[in-house]
Amino acid sequence: MAIWLLPPLLWFVLFMLVPYAITVFYSFGRMDGVLFAPDFSLENYRKVFFDAPYAPIILRSAWIGLLTAIFSSLLAYPVAMAMAFNLPSERARQIVYILVILPWWASYLVKAYAWKAILGPSGLINKGLMSAGLIDEPIRIFLYNDFSVVLTLTYIFTPFAVLSIYAQLERIPGSLIEAARDMGANGFEIFRRIVLPISVPGVLAGAVITFSLGFGDFLAPALLGGSDSLMISSVVISLLGVANDRPLAAAIGVTIIVLAALLISAVNRLEKRTQVRL
Amino acid sequence: MKSVAPTPVIWSLAGGVMLFLYLPILLIVVLSFNSSPRVGLPFQGFTFDWYTALLDNRQMMKAIWNSVYVAFGTVAIGVPLGVMGAIALDRFHFPGKETFRRLVLLPVVLPGVITGVSLLNFYVWGGVKLSLFTIMMGQGTALICITVTEVFARLQQLGRSQYEAAHDLGANEWEIFWRVTMPNIRTALIGSTMIVLSLSLDEIAVTYLLTGRDNTLPMVLWSILRREATPLVNVAGTVMILLTLVLVTIGLRLSRGRQPGSH
Repeated sequence: MAIWLLPPLLWFVLFMLVPYAITVFYSFGRMDGVLFAPDFSLENYRKVFFDAPYAPIILRSAWIGLLTAIFSSLLAYPVAMAMAFNLPSERARQIVYILVILPWWASYLVKAYAWKAILGPSGLINKGLMSAGLIDEPIRIFLYNDFSVVLTLTYIFTPFAVLSIYAQLERIPGSLIEAARDMGANGFEIFRRIVLPISVPGVLAGAVITFSLGFGDFLAPALLGGSDSLMISSVVISLLGVANDRPLAAAIGVTIIVLAALLISAVNRLEKRTQVRL
Repeated sequence: MKSVAPTPVIWSLAGGVMLFLYLPILLIVVLSFNSSPRVGLPFQGFTFDWYTALLDNRQMMKAIWNSVYVAFGTVAIGVPLGVMGAIALDRFHFPGKETFRRLVLLPVVLPGVITGVSLLNFYVWGGVKLSLFTIMMGQGTALICITVTEVFARLQQLGRSQYEAAHDLGANEWEIFWRVTMPNIRTALIGSTMIVLSLSLDEIAVTYLLTGRDNTLPMVLWSILRREATPLVNVAGTVMILLTLVLVTIGLRLSRGRQPGSH
């Protein structure tokens, strides 16, 4: 047993727990000029929770993450349904599965940048509308706001949601649906009373991933966001860079680590409670 | 077929989403052949010039090489440790098992920047100089969870009978691993290696904080995109798409081979 458990355990202790502990240590300290001074004060945590702009930006990031999770799930659901129920063979299913994953494998930055090329003043949409004679001037409302950020994040992370919803729908035996149909249920009833309840853990799992990826993102807001669309990851980066406030960055880090751990526990519990035995 | 919703309805919805997923990528590929010196539309003519320009760009070529180097290092760290973790979780009960499981999963929900910050604090505290090597360690740690999850799921499907039979027949741990476990988890292993490779090739958040003098391709692209985008971005993007396509195809080929566990 030890040979399997020990190496990963030691690795996690050294490269996760020790760094977390050091981060906690830094978060209690302060900056003395340009040098770090160890201390035992909660001042940085007070700043995180009560000083502008930190707590509002954490909430804002969570809001962006939530929107990303909701839209990704909504887009993913019909694709997962089509994969699970409307494909004639195992082979067709494999092909569509790969087609769903492929866009995810393309570079994140390139995909985010592609939306700039679509939404921008000389982008696909504006060029199209102008050549159709519908507008004379490029419309600037598509880019550099929360809409473009959420759209891009949704676009990038939807494949994750498809895969985790599909993993649940795949478990539904055809016989269950046939039985329901034989007993007179129509498509909508089958969806509402069989498919939807069984898919809940998959939707949850996908939503947690897309939420977390959206929450922690700093590239999409920087590339496509407005001047006010700061997210918590960009704040942490600027605290480490220009502001040179390592202790405050550490305090934000610790706060988010705790929030993430709570999220994992909550979702674990929810997934277990909503899991349907088949 | 066990269709729930009418086929035309579900396929027009799903097809719309697939179009949404592919259109931006196709646009980039098309633009990479655009002869216009400006980055975006309109399409003025077909050219390979930007591809040769990429080959001549030392900074970009170095960055591509660095990315590949880091990706393989990340696999070398993350995949073996992930397999060990999955086997330990599947086979044994030990105190703190549930905590260990959640610890493994933490980097999935934790923003990369936070993983990066804590590792950066660790390196600063220990006086370690930042380099491609520190990036590897960071990405490797963050991506162990991928292999653990994939391989663990496979091991759970298998059940314990083969392992117990081998054990009863007198095989030692090493023999059981190579002759029973390994053939059974092969496809999951290849799959997760491909995922780790491509996630590493594309990783920015952890890399951003742990990078030293040498940079990976996403970092170079990022610094270009923040200033003024050049047509090279489209080309580098297309090259990365091709690279991952090749990787995925190889992965699928390898994993489609005979699968002793499936009988």
